[in-house]
This record gives sequence, C-alpha cells and structure tokens, in this order.
Amino acid sequence: MKTLLRRHGLALLCAALAICLPLCMEDSDYAMRIATMALIFAAASQCWNLSGGLANQISLGHAAFFGIGAYTSTLLYIHLEVSPWLGLVAGGMLAAVAAAMLSVILSRLKGHYYALATLAFAEVLRVVANSWSSVTGGPIGLTIPFKGDAPLAFQFSSPAGYYWISLGLLALCSLVFHRLASGASGYRLRAIRENEVAAEVSGIDTFRLKLRLNVLSGALMAMCGTVYAQFIYFFDPDSIFSLSGISVKVAMMSIIGGLGTLPGPILGAFFLVPLEELSTSFFSDTAGLAQCVFGIVLIAAILIQPRGLMAVWGLRHRFMKGART
Amino acid sequence: MTEPLLSVHELDVRFGGLAALSGVGFHMRAGEILGIVGPNGAGKTTLFNALVGVQRPTAGSILFQGRGISGLKPHVIARLGMTKTFQNSALFPEMSVLENVCTAALLHHRLAAAKKKAYGILERLELFDIAGEDVANLTFPQKALTELARAMATDPKILLLDEVMAALSHEEMDGVIAVIRRLREDDGIGFIVIEHHMRAILSLCDRLLVLSFGQVIAEGDPGEVVRHPDVIKAYLGDSAGAGHA
Ligand SMILES: Nc1ncnc2c1ncn2[C@@H]1O[C@H](COP(=O)(O)OP(=O)(O)O)[C@@H](O)[C@H]1O
Ligand SMILES: [Mg+2]
Repeated sequence: MKTLLRRHGLALLCAALAICLPLCMEDSDYAMRIATMALIFAAASQCWNLSGGLANQISLGHAAFFGIGAYTSTLLYIHLEVSPWLGLVAGGMLAAVAAAMLSVILSRLKGHYYALATLAFAEVLRVVANSWSSVTGGPIGLTIPFKGDAPLAFQFSSPAGYYWISLGLLALCSLVFHRLASGASGYRLRAIRENEVAAEVSGIDTFRLKLRLNVLSGALMAMCGTVYAQFIYFFDPDSIFSLSGISVKVAMMSIIGGLGTLPGPILGAFFLVPLEELSTSFFSDTAGLAQCVFGIVLIAAILIQPRGLMAVWGLRHRFMKGART
Repeated sequence: MTEPLLSVHELDVRFGGLAALSGVGFHMRAGEILGIVGPNGAGKTTLFNALVGVQRPTAGSILFQGRGISGLKPHVIARLGMTKTFQNSALFPEMSVLENVCTAALLHHRLAAAKKKAYGILERLELFDIAGEDVANLTFPQKALTELARAMATDPKILLLDEVMAALSHEEMDGVIAVIRRLREDDGIGFIVIEHHMRAILSLCDRLLVLSFGQVIAEGDPGEVVRHPDVIKAYLGDSAGAGHA
C-alpha cells in the first residue's frame, strides 16, 4: 500500500480529484462544461502525444482524425439511426485506416515536412467536407437531433454524463500511452527519438512501430471527435477540421504540459481550456482582446518553462525515471 | 572449402554524379577479421552503410549466408546477423550504458532477459561498473566499448566497426583490440574493421582490403598489402593518410 501510494500517488490524487469534482460542482453546469471540455481536449492531446511525444512525429493535422470521428458517428446517426456508440467504433476504425495510409505515405518525411504534410491532409478533408454538401451538409454543418436523456443514443440531460464518458476516454488514451511508453516498447521508442538510424541498425523496426503509434493515435483521436460532437451537438467543417482550434491546440497542450510525458497533455489541457474560457469571458467587450491575452499568457508560459508545466512541479524527472524502469 | 559467410559482387553506390563505390567485390568467411583502409572519402563508410541496409546500393549484389540482402532494411539485416557501429558515436544520448545495450538486446529477447543479457555483455567488456552512467559522461574508450557492446547485443555473426579506435591512445587501443580478439575466439564473430591506425590493422586483421576512390585497389595479407606500390601511391596522394597509414 505504501509503495503503491509512493509510485502512483499523483495518479491516485488526480483520480480522486476527478471523481470528487462533479460532486462539488453539481450545481454549476458552467463549471462542469468547462471541466468536460478540458477532459476531452486532454484525451485528444494524449492521442497527439502518442505519435508526437513518443515518436517525434510532430503532426499539425490531428483535426483530420477528430473530424473523421465526428462526421462518421453523426452521419451514421442522422441517416441510418446507428447509435453514436457504434458510430464511435466505426469512426475509430475509419480513422485507423486513414492513419495507416498516411503513415505509410509519410514514412520518409521528417520534422517540418511531416508537420506540413499532415496539415495539408487535414486541410484537404476540411475542403472536401465543405464542398461535398450532399453527404456532409457542407459549410452549414451538422446538428445532432436532440433526444433529451437517451444514454443509448449517447445523449444525457445532465453534464455529468458527458463528464464521466470524457473521463473514461482520457483514462483509455492515457492507459494506451502508458503501455507504449513503458517496458520494451518504451525502450524502442526512446531509441527512435534519440537516434533513428542507430535504432534501425540495432534491430528496431522503426517503420512498424511508428505505424502502430499512428494508427492508435488516429483511432483514439476519432473517438475524441465523436465524444466532442455529442457533447456540443453542433459542428461544421471549419470548426471540426480547424488548424488553430484543434490541430495546433492539441499539439500545444502536450508541448506546454510536457512533451512525451503522461501527465503533460492533462496539465496542458487543464491549463489552456480554462485560460481560454476565462480570457473570453473577461474581455468579451473588445473584439480580439481575449485572443491577445490568451496568446500573451501562452508565450509567457513557454518562455518561463520551455520544458513544460511538468517541469514546474519537478515531476518530469520522476516520470522519465519511472518510464525507464 | 566452405562457402563464404558474406560475399559482395560488383557493388555500386552513386550519389547523383558521384560514384562513392564502383564494382566493389570481396568475400569473407565466418570468424574472419577483415580490415579496410583507404584515404578519407574513399567510400569505406558508404560500403558499411550498403552492407547493413542504411544505404541502398545502385547496383550489385550482397550475399549473406547465401541469401541476397541488398535492399533489405537495417533491422532485418540486424536480425539476420549483421550490424555496425558508427564512425561518429551514435549511442542513444539520453540513455544509460545499460539501457543502450538493453535496447539492442530486445531484438532477440523479452525485456527481463534482455536486461540480463545486457549485464552479461557489460561484464565481459568490463563496463559493468558504469552500467548506470549516462553515455554523455563517458570517456572515449568507454564510448567505443559501449558502441561495441550495443552491437554485440544483437547477436551478430558479422560486426562492422567504423573507426571505433579513432580517438584512443595506444594503450586504450590495445585494450579494444584485445576485446575484439576475445569476442572472435569466444563467440566466433567475424569483424570488418575500418581503421586508420596501421598498428591496429596489422595486429588485428587476418586480411586487408584497400579502397581508393570507391574501388578495391589491393587485397590480401596485411603485411604484404601495405607494401603494395598502388597502395603506397594512393596514400602518398593523400596527406591525411600519410601519418597513420
Ligand atoms: N549521403 C551521402 N550523400 C552524398 N554523398 C555522400 C553521402 N555519403 C557519402 N558521400 C560521399 O561519398 C564519398 C565516400 O564517403 P565515405 O564513404 O564517408 O568515405 P570514407 O568513410 O572512406 O571516408 C565521399 O565523397 C562523400 O562525400
Ligand atoms: Mg568514414
């Protein structure tokens, strides 16, 4: 029990906090909505962290998978009345296929070339979703038919329902991250990050390992997209495939929180989502001021602690050590 | 006479208009130590890269254990039993000595067994005491031996060493030479060794290959090859080689 506490103390604390939060905030729909949004973005950023943090594949196109998930489940529901729960799985599978193809095509690209290619992929999907109106609804976007309290249709009357599902999603993404970041695959991934050619020559199948990460990352990201769509009821191509609203944001959360660490995306999301919300509500009178304040705080955070929020708490080292053993 | 473990025929590697290797061919038996010398830019490192799959040959064939391996990926060739060390240390910089070796040992083992194997190799190479050290803190000879240890962890039948002794003093060099000999005696591993120091080449190698401008200009007994007129000419034309070789 003592070692359990020492080794997983922080994780247990977070879990306890996450479970107590809804009890304290039950009266405040607003706070619950922000907390849920932070959880969804933490999960999405954890997906990004899988390929970006563990394999150094800095993607600027993760909105592509997010949108694939949202569109797949929503279109299946609207046109065929397939439960979004099944749509979640279907979107994940479709995104897995897309991620696999993209991974193969981009396997030789590195650094900013990789980032630009993934960005282009998401942009292509955005353009397609905008122009293929007969299927996607085009620029008008999609609205999920309101059913009230219908758990089987992935709809809940209280924000708590979405909160718990988002928490479960974050737990799933973090578990997958943990499995890959530790043990034998953790060694191999660190080797790839530190010297890819030496890793290959030492017998590591770098292509297959990256493929596996990208497929998992894409599939889970699509599931985040479905949960997000169910949570906000409405989305359009420009918001769901958004570069600044999704792709850059999930990357930024991981980087600000602590790239390649498990708590990184969670810290990043719980820093950025409320920050954005606060600056929007405080400075709502002057157009653009909220974004400026948000941007300034962001830059300050990066300047003060370039290695991420994890380092502020002095936890990064401990977690890296943990990943080593 | 047994079939050679490695045989290379008419190997060409071109970088655009530059022929880094042209028509290179040689054979190697199991457990042999083959030396490669040649002026800077002769194509020695390129030859290693082609052998282990880092560089795709433009033409020619590479047979390893009778099987064509040209065009295979490095991790496949490592699994078959051939790997190399890097001319400029390419250890995983943020890992400890043990972790570097353990990572390579994962090729044939699960994590627990890989760790055990890595410790065993470190013990044999007298690196056990620095197992936990970050590789950034190592001395040159320790780095060289760690590179060697990491390559050993993949269970090679042939190990290619690209100037592992470059920055070493004479005593340190003798230490590494003794280690290589021991690995050959105990495990039957064959080595191809690129080295500028004639001292190391002459005391270590069974056979010597001289590369110049991407071509093999001499091959045979090390003592005889270094006195070959073509070899002397190739080296006199190159100031870098004159001091060492
Ligand atoms: N990746 C590469 N791209 C272009 N030219 C290269 C590359 N690698 C090596 N070369 C060139 O090939 C020739 C042989 O280089 P190398 O094999 O490194 O020589 P050595 O190891 O004998 O000093 C040199 O002229 C070098 O500039
Ligand atoms: Mg070289």
